[in-house]
Amino acid sequence: MPTSPEDSTGTSTSAEAAEAATERRVLASHPRRPRHPRRAAALIAAFCLTLTGLATTAAARVDESSEQRLLDVQTKQAAAVLSTAIRLIQEPLSTALSIQRVADVRDETAAFSRLMTAYVGEGRQFTSASLWKLDNDSMTRLVSIGAPPALKANQPATLEYLRSSIDSPTFTVESVSAGDQDRIAYAVGDAVTDYVVYAERAIPADRRAPVDRESAFAALDYAIYLGPTKNLQTLSTTNVDPSTLPLSGTTAEVAVPFGDTVLTMVTEPRGHLGSPLGARLPALLLIGGLLISGFATRTGYQLVRRRQEAEASTATITDLYEQVESLYGQEHELSERLQRALLPHANPVIPHLQIASEYVAGAHGVDIGGDWYSMIALGEDRFGFVVGDVSGRGIDSVAVMAHARFTLRAYLWNGDSPSDALEKCSHQFDIAVDGHLTTAIVGVGNWRTGEVTIASAGHPAPLLITDGTLEYVEVRPGRPLGVGVSTYECTTFTMEPGSTLFNFTDGLVERRTEDIDTGLARLASTVGTVVEKSVDDLVAHAVHTLRCEDASDDIAVLALRWQPSSEARFHGDQRAPAGARSFVADQLPALVGTDGGPLCDDVVLIVSELVTNAVRAGAGTVDVQLQSTPGRLDLRVSDDATGWPTPRGASAADPDGRGLAIVELLTDRWDAVPRNPGKTVTATWFC
Amino acid sequence: MAQFVTTSSSTDVFTLKITGEVDIAAKDEMVAATETCLDSPSTTIEVDIGGVTFIDSSGLGALVRLRNEAGLRRKRVVVTNAPASVTRLFEVTGLVGVFETRTDG
Repeated sequence: MPTSPEDSTGTSTSAEAAEAATERRVLASHPRRPRHPRRAAALIAAFCLTLTGLATTAAARVDESSEQRLLDVQTKQAAAVLSTAIRLIQEPLSTALSIQRVADVRDETAAFSRLMTAYVGEGRQFTSASLWKLDNDSMTRLVSIGAPPALKANQPATLEYLRSSIDSPTFTVESVSAGDQDRIAYAVGDAVTDYVVYAERAIPADRRAPVDRESAFAALDYAIYLGPTKNLQTLSTTNVDPSTLPLSGTTAEVAVPFGDTVLTMVTEPRGHLGSPLGARLPALLLIGGLLISGFATRTGYQLVRRRQEAEASTATITDLYEQVESLYGQEHELSERLQRALLPHANPVIPHLQIASEYVAGAHGVDIGGDWYSMIALGEDRFGFVVGDVSGRGIDSVAVMAHARFTLRAYLWNGDSPSDALEKCSHQFDIAVDGHLTTAIVGVGNWRTGEVTIASAGHPAPLLITDGTLEYVEVRPGRPLGVGVSTYECTTFTMEPGSTLFNFTDGLVERRTEDIDTGLARLASTVGTVVEKSVDDLVAHAVHTLRCEDASDDIAVLALRWQPSSEARFHGDQRAPAGARSFVADQLPALVGTDGGPLCDDVVLIVSELVTNAVRAGAGTVDVQLQSTPGRLDLRVSDDATGWPTPRGASAADPDGRGLAIVELLTDRWDAVPRNPGKTVTATWFC
Repeated sequence: MAQFVTTSSSTDVFTLKITGEVDIAAKDEMVAATETCLDSPSTTIEVDIGGVTFIDSSGLGALVRLRNEAGLRRKRVVVTNAPASVTRLFEVTGLVGVFETRTDG
């Protein structure tokens, strides 16, 4: 198909516009949320690190609290041990005092000496022990064992001290110095007998005391202070270098009653008290968490990046698919537009022919086919028509269709008969070149006589509908166009007035599962029910009834009804005859030809007479109909008045009564038929 | 539509010139023109129908009525310049010879 430069420019512009539209649509339908792998990885890392930090902190807290609890427990155990140690100090003293109370009767001290000797000396509880007797304001040291006591006899301070020990419900404790040696002094007195047992315990110069591995103090560093105050002066015992005191870090403190004062013990775990796992857990968690964070971050980064790549791929595939869809749709739309553009926008007006046509594209999603119809006014009283079908689908079919349509049209226009036109076309179409076969019914007719001549190139014969009788025209089909040079045979027939020639393409009758005769019978029976209707209704009914919704084939229908008559209606007044004459004068050339001058004058005169009679009879409306059939012309004048046409045989002198005489004389035959109301007068001429 | 023009061309001849299509629609005007002709003192009424393009039985009837009335008043009616179609109608309806006709050069 030749394409003008304007056409190609227009096509490419619209294609670009469509492409741009497609792009916009794709963008609109894929609002991609931006996903940055780095951002996702950072989020994952932050999350994992937070978890790690929390877990580590929690583990550390748990361990710390567990350590504190263990420390408290061990410290209490140590305090218990200390209490026991205090009892080891206190009990000999108390025992000695009890013995002395008993011995007081005999006033002897031997028992005291024997008892305390076991506790005094190097490596024993006490450095020095002595027994004192108070008597009002005087005091007497009865016995002294071991090192000389730091307590000076016969001094008011000593008396005071001893007296306080008698008054105290428990033993008194005090730091004393004996030369370079610090000692702790213990005193316990009996208010009844006024005896006081006094003992001193040396404190190592560095206050340090080794700790047994098995003892309660094994895992602890400790410092024991005499009294509630904790400083070097009150420091009693420690197992660390006193210069490093006070103990710091995780410490526990407990006060143990010690005579009339207390021993304050401060402890600090030397190492980790709980299980080794508890101590290492935070570190393990931290290390594990960091490792997991790193792994999760890396994995998340890769996952997001792969998903992004996959989405990009999917989007690309979707885009491509939509573009293909769009291109396909564009081609379908283009084919259909081309097809419709090539079909007649309006059929030509041809006298006495009522023309109805329809083109129906195949179901959506199927390429357009190459069906067409064509109606041609050939001048004078001739007309031509073609209904054809190009095999295959798509733009190529449409192009071949255009070729066939315009070629046939040109030959018919040139005066060729249908068979000649088809034969000439058979030279120009070759399936080997364009890949398509073309079938067609080609016809020419005379609208004055109703004579029609058709030829078929492998196309279904048209259906001729005459007075309720339906038959397919017997036309010998020639070969389709495209299979080589062929000759064709013309069939001529004459249509009756009011008959209809129904041309169609096989899309209207063919079904995949049945033979063509079944479809043809169905078409005839379908059309048979509506033969009384207008030709437009007839075509619409046939197409609507027979078209399959999912039919892949397209359909073209062209129906011609030959109705050689013209009608007009006039108001029943004095102007009606002039109007009727004008109408008849206009219509006659089409009915009887321009060379029928004398007949035309007579028909004009007769219509004037008949309409005048109707008006005189008082008609409200007057209908005038002209009908031409081969060899005959009928003029019908119908009115709604009651009078009846009666020739009166006027004489030469009668001014009236000549009308029907003129009708009688200037027609070949006339009659009157009653209507309700009124009548129809028909004048007939045979030519 | 028909037109009627009356002229007193001389003391003896009164002329009625009819043009256009003469049918039932022209009846009233035809009657009026006829009265004018009959009322004139002239003894001859010439009806020039050279410009008539169509005439039917209504128009013929009006001419016959004019002729009848003129005969009663002893006036003479001459139809002049009748076109072929009207002449043919006269022939068909047997009016040839009823009307005195003349065709001017």
